[in-house]
Amino acid sequence: MTQYILRRILQALPLLFILSFVLFAFTNALGDPLAVFAESRQRPTASQREEIRRRMGLDRPMFEQYVTWMVGNDWQMIDVNGDGSNIQPGTRRGVLRGDLGVSFVTRKPAWTRIEERLPATLTLMIPSYTITLVLALAIGVYSATRQYTLVDNIITGASFFFYSMPIFFIALMTIYIFGVQFSRWDLPALPIGGTGNGTTIDLIVHMLMPVFCLVAIQLAGYVRFIRSSMLEVLGQDYVRTAHSKGLSESNVVRKHALKNAALPLITLIGLDLPFLLAGAVVTERIFAWPGMGRLFIESFERADVPVMMAILMLLCVMVVVFQILTDVVYTWFDPRIRY
Amino acid sequence: MATVKNVQAAQPVPKLQNYEKGTSNLSRSLARLRRHRMALVGAALLVFVFGFVIVGSILIPVRASIYNEPARALQYPSGDLPFGTDVIGRDLLARTVYGGQVSLFVGVTAVIVQMIVGTLIGLIGGYMGGAVDSLLMRLAEAMLSIPQLFLALIALRIFSDPTQFPDFTLFGRTYSSTMIVIVFVIGLTSWMRVARIVRSVVLSVKEQEYITSARSIGAGNLRIIFRHVLPNCLAPIIVSATLGVASAILLEAYLGFLGLGVRAPTPTWGNIMGEANSYIGLWYYWFFPALFIMLTTLGINFLGDGLRDAFDPRSLR
Repeated sequence: MTQYILRRILQALPLLFILSFVLFAFTNALGDPLAVFAESRQRPTASQREEIRRRMGLDRPMFEQYVTWMVGNDWQMIDVNGDGSNIQPGTRRGVLRGDLGVSFVTRKPAWTRIEERLPATLTLMIPSYTITLVLALAIGVYSATRQYTLVDNIITGASFFFYSMPIFFIALMTIYIFGVQFSRWDLPALPIGGTGNGTTIDLIVHMLMPVFCLVAIQLAGYVRFIRSSMLEVLGQDYVRTAHSKGLSESNVVRKHALKNAALPLITLIGLDLPFLLAGAVVTERIFAWPGMGRLFIESFERADVPVMMAILMLLCVMVVVFQILTDVVYTWFDPRIRY
Repeated sequence: MATVKNVQAAQPVPKLQNYEKGTSNLSRSLARLRRHRMALVGAALLVFVFGFVIVGSILIPVRASIYNEPARALQYPSGDLPFGTDVIGRDLLARTVYGGQVSLFVGVTAVIVQMIVGTLIGLIGGYMGGAVDSLLMRLAEAMLSIPQLFLALIALRIFSDPTQFPDFTLFGRTYSSTMIVIVFVIGLTSWMRVARIVRSVVLSVKEQEYITSARSIGAGNLRIIFRHVLPNCLAPIIVSATLGVASAILLEAYLGFLGLGVRAPTPTWGNIMGEANSYIGLWYYWFFPALFIMLTTLGINFLGDGLRDAFDPRSLR
């Protein structure tokens, strides 16, 4: 097992290196990070801009910038003025030594930027994902054990409907009904955006609509998935055998069917979990939620390469980590699987 | 009672009906599709959406979609302007029609790009095997480990430099160059699943006897791929292409909604909604484009699900 995990990590490393290089090349091609200064009140002069450029290493060829990003430049000397009069040692330690670089925009470490936004995204994503999974399991199993009944048909139809619904439609509708119209009708309206004034109660009130929208969108796909994998298992011979032995319906469903139907579900969860960290770009935009999705868009719009790279690499690493975790969890659920 | 119903194997296998037009796989699948109620509903929805856009484009001149009159800004729907007007007084009905043209065009063409790339990569990977295969599959894996929206945003910014790709005029109408760029961006960031599906079909087909016999009579690689392997992949390709149109339209709408998709003057359902995001209180501003996006994706998902059932020989219901 340990050997297997080590092998998976070793296999993933070259992939991560290649990905980081390609992403670095792409994010660097987005535009001039110094362009943000053109709008600032104290606009730097051309020579000041050159100096900033040299300090940040932006005057270097892309490949050299990538090496600096990866291993740092504290073993190099930087000629800040360009004429040899002010030579300073480099300060970057590189990603491999845990330094993700400094944001071009805020001059804070890129990791600090992520630390500021990650909690907001997680307070939105963890509750909505948990609710989604619990509801999906309940509805999916219920609907699969009553295939082609009226309730099952209604559930299937509704999940199709919500599965096809773009998130902004349901988000704008809920805002319009519970935010706009409720206040017009003098009913207690829900706040339209933001995270509230800092108290837990207010935060929960602000979370109601975004969490509802995220659950409504995600739920449909999971219900469909659980229903179809449950149906497949319920058609198996061992389920018929369990029935014919006289086991109770709930016993068969929970112990024999659900445990087997859970395997593909674990794969799906393992694929989806890392992306929860990316936040929900559109939902966060609509509800003015200061999460990771907004952070990515903000740094994207200002060509803030270190922050973008930090987010992207965090996601890539998490994808690898969760793939390995999925394999480990698999062995618990299915004793036939051995590595 | 319920337990007996669940035992599928106990049900008698329904007899194949006699079909009028031949009994090829395709005609049998089409006959199954015609009896699939959900698929018919989906097709009807799509006919309605495409009909709305086509008939609208014939009845309403293009001018109406870009003509602005600030004096009539943000008007409530009325007899003259059934969908109301937007913030600079443009007719929202005309914009929904012409935005629909662009959204549907982007959705369909992006899927064509996606299918060509995905099928080629899947065919090459599955057929060649070895280093080529593992390289291509690693590439797919790498691209799947980044959210598609992030990838599309980055690619869109790099390739939509207006100085490099100027707006173009076609049949007397000016389009933003981002419209073409977005087709390729969506297509090239979503081929991975198709490639995997095609590859898995190729892997199972290539061990069959008829491939060996084709090779033994001297058929070349290209002939084997296009004559014997590709036709076997058609069903899964058609199904994922259908469903792919829905996700392409949605991705375009998300990009447009974020204000980073197709740029003005070209309207799309997504960027109309992006403009409307500041006017959530005026329901008619965002409701109609959102409704049409939903009807389209709903129709496509119904139809795609029906196609999947129709092509799957195990689902003889």
